[in-house]
Amino acid sequence: MITSENEELKNPASTDPVDITIIGAGPTGLFTAFYCGIRQASVKVIESLPHTGGQLTALYPEKYIYDVAGFPKVRAQALVDNLEEQAKMFDPSIILDQSIEKVERLEDNTFKLTTNKEIHYTKTIIITAGNGAFQPRRLNVGECDQFENINLHYHVKDMKQFKDKHVMILGGGDSAVDWSLMLEPIAKKVTLVHRRNNFRALEHSVEMLQKSNVDILTPFSPIEITGDNKIDKVKLQEVQGDKEIDLEIDAILCNYGFVSSLGPIKNWGLEIEKNSIVVNTKMETNIPGIYAAGDITTYPGKVKLIVTGFGEGPTAVNNAKVYIDPKARVQPKHSTSLIGDPKNKPETISI
Amino acid sequence: MAFVITSPCNGEKSGECVQVCPVDCIKEGKDMFFIDPELCIECGACEDVCPVEAIFIEDEIPEEESEYIELNRKFYQPE
Ligand SMILES: Cc1cc2nc3c(=O)[nH]c(=O)nc-3n(C[C@H](O)[C@H](O)[C@H](O)COP(=O)(O)OP(=O)(O)OC[C@H]3O[C@@H](n4cnc5c(N)ncnc54)[C@H](O)[C@@H]3O)c2cc1C
Ligand code: SF4
Ligand code: SF4
Repeated sequence: MITSENEELKNPASTDPVDITIIGAGPTGLFTAFYCGIRQASVKVIESLPHTGGQLTALYPEKYIYDVAGFPKVRAQALVDNLEEQAKMFDPSIILDQSIEKVERLEDNTFKLTTNKEIHYTKTIIITAGNGAFQPRRLNVGECDQFENINLHYHVKDMKQFKDKHVMILGGGDSAVDWSLMLEPIAKKVTLVHRRNNFRALEHSVEMLQKSNVDILTPFSPIEITGDNKIDKVKLQEVQGDKEIDLEIDAILCNYGFVSSLGPIKNWGLEIEKNSIVVNTKMETNIPGIYAAGDITTYPGKVKLIVTGFGEGPTAVNNAKVYIDPKARVQPKHSTSLIGDPKNKPETISI
Repeated sequence: MAFVITSPCNGEKSGECVQVCPVDCIKEGKDMFFIDPELCIECGACEDVCPVEAIFIEDEIPEEESEYIELNRKFYQPE
């Protein structure tokens, strides 16, 4: 998996526009990025989460998918890993942990994209934003926001940061259970707090959890945090009970899952219908130069599936290619003739 | 199609479903919670956590609960 840790930012400050910027690195965005390579378009992918995969990674990484063409059965995260490998064939620039907030058209008809961290320039845009930018569902106790990234974490960037610490993990799904098991040998102590007695995680992982040294506190939820520069103490309350527990901790890892919302995309002047972007058969939106594909789109007969996104992405790229270069053809050459030898460098291909 | 909250929620109202919905499309009404059918992405997360099995996907709703399809919709799109 690409994470923000190991992916360098390629010329983020450059004002040279790339041909195509893809908003969202879900399955549609990743395959669309690959396809840009097929059309020799320079491409940048921008994703709000610190990892790729969209709904598959955020909501159901361990589930099996049975309706992706060519895969009788594939684990969601394994499909994402394959999509990433395929996309990387053409060395796209994948920028993680940045959410696009503003889109403006410049005088030369290119676009300026403003994220929460920097500015990017592009000739065209393909929006593959699914249901909008994913964010971790945040802990909502007192003034806890100010401790985010100090000792309240939503992602694990480096497991070593929890070495010899007392870590409190919050949540009851696969991530909370998996991180408890992974950190237990590294941390001084792991306390897992969940508001119900049952965990919604793979049976096998829950069995391992029960055999481990992880301290399991259920049904409890945090109601108060104390500390000056960092969180020192957490008060837990029994759900529908009166028991209270005060715990001194060194760090909190909150795994309450992810929420997405269309947010700023609604203000870009795009035609939106029921939270989706209206496109035509070329995957054009109402704004020339901006295309969309995947779950975010709507048109008569639209079906929201991974495979429909895999079709819409290439349609958007092939049409964007003609927008950038009116002499280009919409119909591409076949990949079979472009990439005969997989070791062939894409630069050596001429279209 | 969307997921729909039916009668067992009335009185229970535990709010577990709200905590897990990835698109925040479940809101509290007077007697029960409701799902916005326009926003629901049919992920099924809420169905798994409801302690009283009040949540069904639209085409699996028991006959006697079918009026809740309209009740959920009306909560978000009152005529
Ligand atoms: C539980 C579950 C099971 C499913 N099972 C299946 C199945 O069996 N078969 C099937 O075909 N489909 C299934 N689906 C649906 C499938 O997951 C979606 O159709 C698919 O994920 C859509 O892909 P996408 O790339 O268009 O959007 P997403 O996967 O939603 O990805 C969009 C990405 O864009 C990012 N983004 C959005 N806005 C911004 C912004 N402003 N800036 C930066 N990044 C942004 C988001 O963070 C996200 O990562 C299932 C869905 C769920 C929830
Ligand atoms: S099925 Fe998913 S999206 Fe729909 S209401 Fe339930 S949790 Fe929310
Ligand atoms: S989890 Fe079930 S009972 Fe609780 S609010 Fe949601 S639908 Fe109602």
